[in-house]
Amino acid sequence: MRVIWKLADGREIAAEVAPGLSLMEAAQANNVPGVIGECGGCLSCATCHVVVDPDWADRTGAPGEFEDAMLDITAAERQPRSRLSCQIEAHPDLDGLVLHVPEA
Amino acid sequence: MTVWTPTDDGHADLTSHDAFAGGAPHNTFARLRREDPLHWTEYADGQDFWSVTRHADIAEMNKNTAVFSSARGIRMEDQSYEEYLARRTFQETDPPEHSQTRMKLMKAFSRTTMAQYEDDIRAICVDILDEVLDKGTFDATKEIARQLPMRMLGRIVGLPDADLPWLVEKGDALIANTDPDFTTHVLDKLDTDEYRMMPFNSPAGAELYLYAKDLMEQKEKAGDTSGVLHMILQPSKDGSVISDTEFRNFFCLVVAAGNDTTRYSIAAGIQAMCHQPELLEQMQAGGDIWETAPDEIIRWATPALYFRRTALQDHEMHGKTIRAGDKVLYWWSSANRDETVFDDPFRVDLYRNPNRHLSFGQGGPHVCLGMWLARLEVKVLFQELAKRLSSIEPAGPHKFLRSNFVGGIKELPVTVRRA
Repeated sequence: MRVIWKLADGREIAAEVAPGLSLMEAAQANNVPGVIGECGGCLSCATCHVVVDPDWADRTGAPGEFEDAMLDITAAERQPRSRLSCQIEAHPDLDGLVLHVPEA
Repeated sequence: MTVWTPTDDGHADLTSHDAFAGGAPHNTFARLRREDPLHWTEYADGQDFWSVTRHADIAEMNKNTAVFSSARGIRMEDQSYEEYLARRTFQETDPPEHSQTRMKLMKAFSRTTMAQYEDDIRAICVDILDEVLDKGTFDATKEIARQLPMRMLGRIVGLPDADLPWLVEKGDALIANTDPDFTTHVLDKLDTDEYRMMPFNSPAGAELYLYAKDLMEQKEKAGDTSGVLHMILQPSKDGSVISDTEFRNFFCLVVAAGNDTTRYSIAAGIQAMCHQPELLEQMQAGGDIWETAPDEIIRWATPALYFRRTALQDHEMHGKTIRAGDKVLYWWSSANRDETVFDDPFRVDLYRNPNRHLSFGQGGPHVCLGMWLARLEVKVLFQELAKRLSSIEPAGPHKFLRSNFVGGIKELPVTVRRA
């Protein structure tokens, strides 16, 4: 599947992502600045914050309980479609997904 | 010129504190990464464990908490179940329990919260440096590195300033409990049975216990709700409250963590400046370097040399089987010198980017709670230091802590000239 990260400075990074990988891992593999992922996807750091594009929000779903709490401590302010990208798994249904990386 | 060259013969005994008294035995780690990345390490009285030394292996295992648990202790030494219960902090728990405790603390230590302390940190740095730099020659660990983290911890945790020197002393005894310079009760040389149930097996742990108890009682009476100590005492969403023992152990953890890890990062950075003179010029040039320099200094320092996990089930790796119940050590110190991840790992490159060091235990749920504070303290300290110096050089050999758990330069004589 293909993912597009839109950065705060207007740049875009697009990459093919293997299904099963988390989108935090995918961002790390593609050196997407602003998606750090200090805790490896264990919901301990809130450094892989992304905002899901409005067209995709239904398909990525809502954050779980722990994720919801962690979204309150992100460096960039939380927005209505904020997610921690370690909690979104790459899946063929998400082909073409657009994620916005907020400015920290 | 490299900053420091390891001198061990490649076969150091990783269970010996003395083997680390001249700095971490990096020739041994390099050999293990090359020849035996999952190394069965023999240790007295059948306390043997696996040593994992490659960056890629540690990164993979660290997130696998279903197999590798923190809940049976994080030091190489065995402990009995009752000891473990008496001494454990949230460092010694696994998800989801770990996540629940952490949730209470995350906000107080988040990047955003910490950023609000930048001016405070800068003011403390200016104080410290203005006082010491005119001396010309001094011990940089004692006069600079030791000062900042504890003064900041006082602010953040909500401790009275007057208590800080005493706390620094107790924290030192607590964490450096294998170095005779810091404790009269050297852990591996004395029978510390009396203190087995105390945090870090240390009499200082006992004193900190009592201090924490009194402090909280006073704060409660006064209705003082400042700082993280108050925050951690609040019930979680499901109504559960931290127990007295958990709280007091957490207090000891915070004092120890705030006391030594950032200190030894700062010390290692100053030591690097002494041996790579270009670092001072680079810092003075400023700009983007402050995005990357703190992490490189913290990689170079690696104050937490290892943390241990315990296998909950059999696990195959490198043609060997880690059995359920086996202890497994992640040697962060080795991962941070892994030549397959870091070009020229023994050189300090303040522009290193990406810098996938593991000093904070990145890649797992236990990633350092204080990492944003640590990075900020390191950044501001070196910004203010570089501004004030025209040169810095060693004024004698530096001495490492006698510990295979905490890697740090305990004595760092330097001579400086002010800019």
